[in-house]
Amino acid sequence: MEITGAELVRGLALLGAGICMGIGAIGPGVGEGFAAGKACEAIGRKPEEAGLLTRTMLVGQAVSESTGIYSLVVALLLMFVVK
Amino acid sequence: MDEIGKISVWATDIGGLHLVFNRTTITMTLWVMGILILFAVLSSRNKGLIPNPLQVVAELFVGIFWGLTRDALEEDMAKTYFPLICTLFMFLLLCNLIGVVPFMDEPTKDLNTTLGLGLMGFFIAHYAGIRTKGLKKYVSEYFQPIFFMMPLNVIGELAKVVSISFRLFGNIMGGSIIILVVSHLVYSLLLPPFLYAFFGIFVGTVQAFVFTMLTLVYISVQVK
Repeated sequence: MEITGAELVRGLALLGAGICMGIGAIGPGVGEGFAAGKACEAIGRKPEEAGLLTRTMLVGQAVSESTGIYSLVVALLLMFVVK
Repeated sequence: MDEIGKISVWATDIGGLHLVFNRTTITMTLWVMGILILFAVLSSRNKGLIPNPLQVVAELFVGIFWGLTRDALEEDMAKTYFPLICTLFMFLLLCNLIGVVPFMDEPTKDLNTTLGLGLMGFFIAHYAGIRTKGLKKYVSEYFQPIFFMMPLNVIGELAKVVSISFRLFGNIMGGSIIILVVSHLVYSLLLPPFLYAFFGIFVGTVQAFVFTMLTLVYISVQVK
């Protein structure tokens, strides 16, 4: 069975997409979990500030997610634009 | 599944240039603008001490964002930039939520929308910085803390634009693709409403809030 050049490019692009998203998902997971842990700690210390702490945690996590989103965009580009 | 890569466009050739307009984005943005104008007109008529429901919603937006703007900027600058911040949040919130309605796409699914809004915030922040500090002090701040840091500071400013627009675009576009793929795998049984609730409503609201707050923070950093 002969593999043409175009099929090889497509296959490697899909492999790259998988690796890109897989490794890119490590960072935000660790970072956001750390932020959530600190927020839990702070709520344990002062439970009446829970609303403000939750809001701040969510905003911080949304900013920390952005590098994961960059690797998602690269993976989508590799999947849908490389023919 | 094969409608993921396709974008419906209007393509014209004017004066030797091949111009392409995204039809879905333009149509949806006009819908969002129309709904926002309707909301503004309906919520501000018959203003009284006992408010009608739309007036309550509008006062909620204005109250929350006036508090945030006043904490970040001083009083007169806050009055100047508050309409921008509040409108930005209401526009982005409606843009992200309109994707939950069937047969409607979010305008923020297109990089053009988010990049345009990011560039707008960037130019407004730097214009505010130049007007407040004067051109000389503004340029000298790029050479802090030592003068060969200038390229790094410039790249840092450009990276802010890229990050703010790609964050919103990636979250909304990625969310909609995940919804499409998972609904296709599950034959649209049971799971899609929960996906729409998380990716459409929750992520849409949080990302609209983050975009608005980051624009406010960039303006306040330049003005200090």
